Amino acid sequence: MEEYIKQFAERSKQALDRLPTKEIAKALNMLQGVFERDGRIYVFGNGGSLALATHWVSDFNKTVFSHHLDEHSRRFQAIRIPTTEEELTAWANDVGFEMVFAGPLQNYLQDCDIVIAISSSGNSLNVVRAVELAKSKKVPIIGISGFDGGKLNELADAKILVPTEKGDYFTVEGVHGVILHLMTEYFVNYFDQVAEEQKEARAGSNLPLA
Amino acid sequence: MIVVRAPLRISFVGGGTDLPDFYRRTPGRVISTAIDKFVYVVVNRTPLIDKVSARYSISETVDHPNELQHTRIKAALLDLGIDKRIEIGSFATLPAKTGLGSSSTFSVALMKALHAFQGKKLGPSEAAEAASRLEIDLVGEPIGKQDQYASAIGGLNVIQFNSDESVDVDPVLLDFKRRLELENHILLFFTGLTRAAASILTEQKSNIDKKFDTLKEMAESVHEFKDRLLAGDFKGLGEMLHQGWLKKKSLASNVSNSAIDRLYASGKDAGAYGGKVLGAGGGGCVMFVAPPAVHSAVRAGVLAAAKEAGLNQFQEIPVKFVQSGAEVLFNGDHHHTFLS
Repeated sequence: MEEYIKQFAERSKQALDRLPTKEIAKALNMLQGVFERDGRIYVFGNGGSLALATHWVSDFNKTVFSHHLDEHSRRFQAIRIPTTEEELTAWANDVGFEMVFAGPLQNYLQDCDIVIAISSSGNSLNVVRAVELAKSKKVPIIGISGFDGGKLNELADAKILVPTEKGDYFTVEGVHGVILHLMTEYFVNYFDQVAEEQKEARAGSNLPLA
Repeated sequence: MIVVRAPLRISFVGGGTDLPDFYRRTPGRVISTAIDKFVYVVVNRTPLIDKVSARYSISETVDHPNELQHTRIKAALLDLGIDKRIEIGSFATLPAKTGLGSSSTFSVALMKALHAFQGKKLGPSEAAEAASRLEIDLVGEPIGKQDQYASAIGGLNVIQFNSDESVDVDPVLLDFKRRLELENHILLFFTGLTRAAASILTEQKSNIDKKFDTLKEMAESVHEFKDRLLAGDFKGLGEMLHQGWLKKKSLASNVSNSAIDRLYASGKDAGAYGGKVLGAGGGGCVMFVAPPAVHSAVRAGVLAAAKEAGLNQFQEIPVKFVQSGAEVLFNGDHHHTFLS
């Protein structure tokens, strides 16, 4: 049994050793940029990836600012697509399952936004359709994929590929979660420091003028 | 209505190597960052008014773009085939000619806005190319391409200019700690003197043969600047800027003048590691890299020197770096598409 557990952990370790650090760094800068211009972040994926998308929204909108909620009146605006089960089923039932992300995304997407697309294979048709929509509007794309990255990795501007054997969903989805938490912690630390510096600047400005 | 915002930039090392007479012989290279000061271009469709209006430091309303005085708006409209029913306005956080790339930043915002007006979206590199083409090919300005790329793409980058006119943008991936550290080492002052880059660049251009080796060293030193930046060697960065500034001064006679030399010397005397004059020189901004502990002393020193030189509009410009390049912040024009 312990050997079995070790073997699973070993696959995750190998994937973590091959984290695309440069692409993650690019994605962090893209997210910094969308915050600066007050744009929105649309996140989507299927199954476990949809769960991660929802987790992303919570971590970026709340957790990132948790230490200084009052200091940061302006925060990330991350939105999971589709935002309701009603839209999901309406698009799937009436138009087709390949439109469950692209359909609702079309309602929102503006030039200054960004999208985060999550797909282990990188080839989920509904994810690719939404990414193509973003691409046609020249909206930057963070692509989070596994296996060989598929179409998503080709189309993305930040190509966050967790390379694994084809079909190793568990390793890919686990490491995708690590990447989300890496990004969350990065911005927690960043906004902590910004709040700290603002506090110091305010304290400084209270000093009597020389 | 369409609103586009594009950031100004601080150029650290390599200015001048983005001129074609240089990069057609050997690759030019600069390292620069976009900052939180912006040029805004607003474009508005006027379906009932068959005129072209351009509102900047003056206001022009004409029957055809041919009659416009603003050379770049005129050339852009003619090139894109827009000849009536449009208002164009520009706004900016800072005055023009400060050496922060405002004129090319305007062109980037303008091209992005006019393309959006025609229902076309320009990506970052496309916007930089369109602005460079407008200024250099269509208007014939004797300028380089670094500012168009810095503004259109945003962030802190090494930008390389190749002989085949292609441009490679390599982002310097600083984490927020290093980025904030760099911001906290930088002091930027507007001298109150403004200059047009063109005259100095024209002299620089004619000097390229003579100064080729100097420019080549500047383009090469961009790699070292990047490495020192990633390592957090701010003292080394300051010293490199200092050396770069000395080289730049040798490129054209009017890159500096006595008032600027005194300002610079006073900052250096007060403990700055080094610095430079931003832009093509002759005025604009003076920037220092200095440890935070001596910032008060540097401020006091340069302020005294500015007073002595009679620079009444001299003042500090607090800056932060930005990742976002030129962006369409608002596009309400699609509500009017039925009219065309």
